[in-house]
Amino acid sequence: MGIEVLNNCIGCSKCVGSCPFEAISMSNKKAVIDLTKCTLCGACVQVCPVKAIVISREMVKRDLSAYRDVWVFVEFADDADIKKQGEIKKVSFELLSKGRFLADKLNQKLCAVVLTDKNRDYEKILSEYGADRVYLLENDEYLPYDTDIYSASIMSLINKYKPSIFLFGATYKGRDLAPRMAANLYVGLTADCTDLNINNDGLLVQSRPAFGGNIMADILSPNSRPQMATVRPNVMKIVKVLPKAVEVIKEDIRIDKNIRRVKVVQRHKEEEKGYTKIENADIIVSGGRGLKSKEKFEILNELAKLLNASVGASRAAVDSGFIDKKHQVGQSGTTVRPRLYLAFGISGAVQHLVGMKNSDVIVAINKDPNAMIFSVSKYAIIGDAHDIAKKLIEKIKSAKAVA
Amino acid sequence: MPQLDSITRNLMLDSLNEYAKRKLPYDFIREKDRENECPVDILREMYDPEVLGIHLISIPREYGGIGGGTTDLYRICELLAKIDLGVATSVFATYLGIDPINVGGTEEQKKKWLGRIAEKRLMVAYGATEPDAGSDLVNLKTKAEHVVRDGKIIGYRITGLKQWISNGGIADLYTILAMAPGGPSWFVVERDTEGFTPAHHEDKHGIRLSNTAGLSLDSVYVPADNLIGSVEGQGLLQAQAVFGYTRLMVAAFGLGCGWSALETAVRYSQQRIQSGGPLSEKQGYTHKLMVPHAVNLEAARAYIEYVAQRLDSGEHGLATEGAIAKYWSTESGNRAAEDSIQALGGYGYTKDFPVEKIKRDVKITCIYEGTNEIMEMTIYRGRWQEHLKTRGSYYLNMADELDELSKKNTDCGMSVAAMGLRALSAVMEECRLNKLTRHQHVTFVLGRLISMAEHSYIFSKAASAERYSESVKFDKPTYKAMARVFAKNAALEVAIRGSSLVLGAVDKATNLAEKINLAAIEKEQYGIISDMDLISKSLCQVFKAR
Amino acid sequence: MNIFVCIKQVPDTTEVKINPETGTLIRAGVPSILNPYDHFAVVNALKIKKSNPDAVVNVISMGPPQAKAVIQMALALGCDNGYLLSDAAFAGSDTWATAYALSSAIKKIGKYDIIICGMQAIDGDTAQVGPQIASQLNIPQVTFADNVEIENKKALIKRHIDDGYDTIESPLPVLVTMVMPKDYELPFPSFVNITKALSKPFFTYTADDIMAKKEYLGLKGSPTQVNRIYPPQREVKTTVINTTSVEAVDKIIEILKQENFIK
Repeated sequence: MGIEVLNNCIGCSKCVGSCPFEAISMSNKKAVIDLTKCTLCGACVQVCPVKAIVISREMVKRDLSAYRDVWVFVEFADDADIKKQGEIKKVSFELLSKGRFLADKLNQKLCAVVLTDKNRDYEKILSEYGADRVYLLENDEYLPYDTDIYSASIMSLINKYKPSIFLFGATYKGRDLAPRMAANLYVGLTADCTDLNINNDGLLVQSRPAFGGNIMADILSPNSRPQMATVRPNVMKIVKVLPKAVEVIKEDIRIDKNIRRVKVVQRHKEEEKGYTKIENADIIVSGGRGLKSKEKFEILNELAKLLNASVGASRAAVDSGFIDKKHQVGQSGTTVRPRLYLAFGISGAVQHLVGMKNSDVIVAINKDPNAMIFSVSKYAIIGDAHDIAKKLIEKIKSAKAVA
Repeated sequence: MPQLDSITRNLMLDSLNEYAKRKLPYDFIREKDRENECPVDILREMYDPEVLGIHLISIPREYGGIGGGTTDLYRICELLAKIDLGVATSVFATYLGIDPINVGGTEEQKKKWLGRIAEKRLMVAYGATEPDAGSDLVNLKTKAEHVVRDGKIIGYRITGLKQWISNGGIADLYTILAMAPGGPSWFVVERDTEGFTPAHHEDKHGIRLSNTAGLSLDSVYVPADNLIGSVEGQGLLQAQAVFGYTRLMVAAFGLGCGWSALETAVRYSQQRIQSGGPLSEKQGYTHKLMVPHAVNLEAARAYIEYVAQRLDSGEHGLATEGAIAKYWSTESGNRAAEDSIQALGGYGYTKDFPVEKIKRDVKITCIYEGTNEIMEMTIYRGRWQEHLKTRGSYYLNMADELDELSKKNTDCGMSVAAMGLRALSAVMEECRLNKLTRHQHVTFVLGRLISMAEHSYIFSKAASAERYSESVKFDKPTYKAMARVFAKNAALEVAIRGSSLVLGAVDKATNLAEKINLAAIEKEQYGIISDMDLISKSLCQVFKAR
Repeated sequence: MNIFVCIKQVPDTTEVKINPETGTLIRAGVPSILNPYDHFAVVNALKIKKSNPDAVVNVISMGPPQAKAVIQMALALGCDNGYLLSDAAFAGSDTWATAYALSSAIKKIGKYDIIICGMQAIDGDTAQVGPQIASQLNIPQVTFADNVEIENKKALIKRHIDDGYDTIESPLPVLVTMVMPKDYELPFPSFVNITKALSKPFFTYTADDIMAKKEYLGLKGSPTQVNRIYPPQREVKTTVINTTSVEAVDKIIEILKQENFIK
């Protein structure tokens, strides 16, 4: 990797202000880069109007041993107000939990990367999920999220502290940011992982489904660092740890407003409808085509209410018009990991199974003793789904009445 | 017309498939089938050049069409038949109705009529059949009489009845075969002409989405320009000129229907659990109800493609080849549909699954465009001539060719196919010596045996190809196994039926048995079970449960 | 205005099946299709062309020679020029190397005002190539959009966020990746338009043609490596309950209590 200023530099000095590390100065109306300060973050490349600054990304034999630690990008929910920071998303805790496991295997540190307008004691909660260290970047420009600003900031952090592994949620933001940086850094990035591990060579083994969930692949990034991965939400198990001391490293990164190129003109958030969305639900009562009709499917709403659960559905049920698509669980719907997944009349196509098989406890009810759903179920109940749902409601109701 | 490039053809097939998925789902078709109703609006939409423009494929480019070749049309017809044979029949009626103009029309007539059909999206009907003239057009009763003014023929008045005309009640334009003073001739008749009345839509066993109606022509006047080709008496020649091609399209229908039914059965077999395992794992089921039909249908496909390629490379006629293709493909499609009902058991007998409808539909392919008995006769006649002309070496040459090729391709069933061809040649020669073709039964059975033997010849050659046709869905080991199984079945049937045919009519002992060499063919049967196991497994992989 | 649409030919994953014995994909009989998200990207590009009649829509794909089929499809739908990057040097490229090849080609072909990609391909589901092209071209990106319009030389984009969407304004050039609104019916070309596409400009480029460095392409240029492919495994000990529905309900209640879901 290297950076150079080409002869077509017009001396406009836009790059000078864009550099977060004051590494650029003007000399004889040309930009000069101080290589001892430059972190190759690429912010200047983005503002140069004549493309005179070039970063070359050659995968030369890099000194991989200099790279240590497991990093997790901490993602915040989008607030309806674009200048307001939302809560830390659940996926970040999932990543920290898995990251803890990886860091322990490597005997390295687990670090959380936080970009926020200001800190709100985030290190406390992050340490509950295993973080040893928090890299804290505070700047008003971090709201709303911007690909260019985030990638420039984080890349300078990477170049300075050299992590070995860097995890992102496979969310809208994570899948926007991670590839942008991986391309810039010329490092390997694996999308939408459902499992992570460390192999005997100390490499990150990144497992992910492909071909619509029909096949699994293990991916390695042996020759580049950090080994980057986006991880599917609701797949990794959350593990809390005993609180301990957490180190906070505040980085002061200057941000040139000019590198924000796209503007959020307006934000539109759907109103909360009073029920828990399936991706966050503790219990999901889910139905398939085995329930036969829309009317019969509706019985699940009542059961869900009694169990304080959300309603899920197979693709077949959604396609048959039993329920709206946002309830769909599976490859083309939502991946869920509730504590309990109750499946009524779902046969269990591969594409459904990949979306729910990591649920803690799966109870499936199906007429067909050979239904695929049973292969991932802890309890396989052979019987008529609608009939059992109806009787279950009665039973729970009468139990409540007694209580 | 030469065929389109493969990408273009496949994009068209994809578009047609996509259209059908959206506009012709099974529930819709089932409803129309129950109501005996032709979905005219859907058919009209299929002609819209911004939606599909399905009629344009059979109209040459210079007249505003797309100009597809026979290969393209066969693929379209196969897919149409998979969607619904009624819809397919209606589209095909337009293709068929266009043919007399395409084949016999003068340059001006082509410009005028083909141009109009292309641009105005006209639905066409082919009016040949009459109450007393079906496969046999010689009994044509519809008359076209001269209308003379100032000593010049300015037009014709056509009178007569046509029967079972596809699109009869809904077409915009009709090509009508009538007996003119100079002999059978084709006329273009527009729907709104005075004296022209379509009859009611028939209540049919199958293809109920296809409008079928009689036509009544009562002194219908058409200008002299509407006489196709401007010369009287060319009608039968013009009709026969495209027999090779039209029969091939009906063959494609048999193929499409057969596969459509069989696919349903194969998918079903993987879901239906009986005594602890899916039906797809039980030989008693797969090797009876699935594998033989897959083999027969793929043999039919190989033969259809062979004829289509020949037509696309500029050969004309090929009426006998068309008959061989039509006969085998529609017989196979019909039987595949029949067994698919059996394969689905009670479900197959209900209308919840499409197989019983396919069975009712596909039957027509054994009847229209010449019944399969006419085909048996046609095949016999065509090949008997060859047998005589070559002094019995017609099939021996084919056998020699296969024996030569089999040195390099040991696994495509070539040597047993060659044995079948030699046996066929021996049977035909024995029939000649004993003048057995005076028995009509002998000639018709020969038609069947010829069809099987020639299919095994073409199929085993297709299986030995370096690259398979784009329409073959199976991998090489499976396709070769299919060719082997077919060649073994065909040789055995030719040998056994052939010798019984001869021995049924003559009592004197000859050396026929030696020439047929049944023992050698029997020895070649080894391996058929393991081949069928492979095919069965492969079928379930290609047509997996949904 | 110059629009680029990046597309990919993919196996129809709803038709893909695994060989249970070897754990490999069975490709026989699986049709190849235009990746649906890319198909939607084409639709959006054509919509922009409709309101900007001077716009030229270039469609570009990397793949084997057969991938010409999806380019012809895009041309039949109304795109203007087709480019296929086909070279043994491209084989085995991961998302980085693919993005490198595509961005090199786009630079080579010429001016670009907007590049539209599908959000992801249904065979790999990575959603990485789009942002990686934007990164390598150093242009802004907006991902997971379901609508793009161009007005006054600016792109107006509707981008998905969790439970809602942002309206984004971006200068040109910009790269946008697209996700389909649910139940969207993708258009298919008519027979006539399929034949018309045959006379549209189509080019096949090799690595040399687009001046791509071979060391950045294919397996060699790819920072990620596929280490192992295997069928999804399921390891659950299943307790089968086959009894009357009344007893089954009692059993469920018992399970719920046992696992602490109800008291």
